[in-house]
Amino acid sequence: MKRPSVRWAPAVVVPAVIATGALISSAGAGAADLEPRTPAQVLALLAASDVQAFAGTLEQTSELGLPTLPDGALAGSAEGSAATAVLELLTGERTARVYADGPSNLRVQVFDTLTERDVVRRGDEVWLYDYEANEATRLELPDAPAGHAASLPGAGTPDGVPTPAELADRFVALVDDTTEVAVGAGVVVAGRDAYDLVLSPRSADTLIGSVVIAVDAETGLPLSVAVHARGQEEPAARVAFTRLTLGAPDPALFSFTPPPGAQVEEVEPPQPGLRPPAGTGLDRLPAVALPTVTGSGWDTVVALPAAAVPPELAKAPLVAQLTRAVDGGRALETAVVTVLLTEDGRALVGAVPLERLQDVAAGR
Amino acid sequence: MRSELRVLFGRPRTWAMLLALAAIPILIAVAVRLSSEPPGPGEGPPFLDRVTQNGLFVGMTALVVSIPLFLPLTVGVVAGDTIAGEASLGTLRYLLVAPAGRVRLLVVKYVAAAVFCLAATLTVVVVGALVGLALFGAGPATLLSGDTVGVGESAVRALLVAVYVTVSLLGLSAVGLFVSTLTEVPVGAMAATVVLSVVAQVLGQLDQLAWLHPWLFSRHWLGFADLLRQPVSWDSFGDNALLQAGYVAVFGALAYGRFVTKDVLS
Repeated sequence: MKRPSVRWAPAVVVPAVIATGALISSAGAGAADLEPRTPAQVLALLAASDVQAFAGTLEQTSELGLPTLPDGALAGSAEGSAATAVLELLTGERTARVYADGPSNLRVQVFDTLTERDVVRRGDEVWLYDYEANEATRLELPDAPAGHAASLPGAGTPDGVPTPAELADRFVALVDDTTEVAVGAGVVVAGRDAYDLVLSPRSADTLIGSVVIAVDAETGLPLSVAVHARGQEEPAARVAFTRLTLGAPDPALFSFTPPPGAQVEEVEPPQPGLRPPAGTGLDRLPAVALPTVTGSGWDTVVALPAAAVPPELAKAPLVAQLTRAVDGGRALETAVVTVLLTEDGRALVGAVPLERLQDVAAGR
Repeated sequence: MRSELRVLFGRPRTWAMLLALAAIPILIAVAVRLSSEPPGPGEGPPFLDRVTQNGLFVGMTALVVSIPLFLPLTVGVVAGDTIAGEASLGTLRYLLVAPAGRVRLLVVKYVAAAVFCLAATLTVVVVGALVGLALFGAGPATLLSGDTVGVGESAVRALLVAVYVTVSLLGLSAVGLFVSTLTEVPVGAMAATVVLSVVAQVLGQLDQLAWLHPWLFSRHWLGFADLLRQPVSWDSFGDNALLQAGYVAVFGALAYGRFVTKDVLS
């Protein structure tokens, strides 16, 4: 008869093995062994990327520090559906699949629990489908301008057009005034080796700590983009491939027929050069309501004049829940973006601390 | 093993639970059929408005309704009864007198509970499909992605979903098996298992515990919808299988440790 301690051994070993495995798989996601490159080389790689056919799974996470709204807090309110849709995008996690083949065949599937939203584009025809509402919307894109085809990647580089490497050099020089560009350690994203391109603002006035883009070492395709807030460990927002297959996906994915029973709607695309159609609300915007921009680079503040801000906005229950009263109005503070609704009806937005918005609002 | 299954499925209690599960899709289908206007999009539980197009969706709606409580309840009853039931009847020591060994008894009991998981899920899906076909007929099924598939493929997808939900319940069965080795009162083990499944789901709702969520056995319970996308997204199936395998390993090891060191007195 073995001693009891031996009998309990599996109960100790198994959790230990699982914990080790979990640690290894989360830590092993880093570190890829790549030849070192300068920021300009990585930018050139990014610019030269001409991956047009792929199938991938994207995962989006947000840690913006928005107050969590109780479920159903928005139900029944007029601004409910649109506002919740936006809020959903800004909070929590989300998975989507993307299929692309060439510039004009695209399918995006946004996964939700027990439902899904789809965008299917084939040539000039675009379908939007929402499973839960069982609604399909069709719209025809206006014909591309004649010069468009020449500007497509892979269409050849006429004389006088800068090469991607030159472009990258110029870009580095351009961003260098406001932004520090560096190449971080190699990473592995979706099973592919990638360079981390780190863009850090030189300004101390912004909430953004850095923007990190993982550039695929082989093709130059951006595999993930993460926005880090100052003093926050987790990225404030991150979009990354968790799975990526290069090559043309099944063409059947780009053809869409509305399912039987679905409500089908046709939408006229906006014609370039025309006024927005009546009834959409866009035509009611007064022409004078242009935003004013203060500062440049990362600490830019955009101020919407009172005329462009619907007066009922500040009183909406959702806004009241999300914002808090501060000196000079109501403010919504997230990890990377601050919004200030002033008492005289203006709205100020910027990736800056609240004090700066208050200064700009007061004309300082 | 065969005798164990015969005992399990010879019990009136097992059949009563399966009948109760079968009643869920029947109630849903009859209610939709009798109501004067078909449910609009987004009303009621998910998939309800698709029921009238394709009877197979009755099974899906019934699954969504029964996953939070009814399925864990019946699985908890069966898994909680495994060892504690024998102990309370005083038959456990006779089973152990036979040269089969304690480990084998544990494995046989667990496999029987797993077979019940499959039976319970299949009951909901198959009865739902049959009732739906009888009341609404078969039609092309609309997948979540908006693509339409024929009757044959939608039946295959429904069976895949049944397999997915069965796998989802294996972790809970292992927890129930372990709890069952702790006590000689079967009702206590059943109640504890069911309560644990509810607690796991409540914890899964709390955003403040987001770090804990990937470790809850109820994490992927509603992920079966990924099998209804076009093309099938296998990611959540794999994640779910891995998670449940972890639970089976941990709680299987705990049950082993507890059961082989236990003094069996009754």
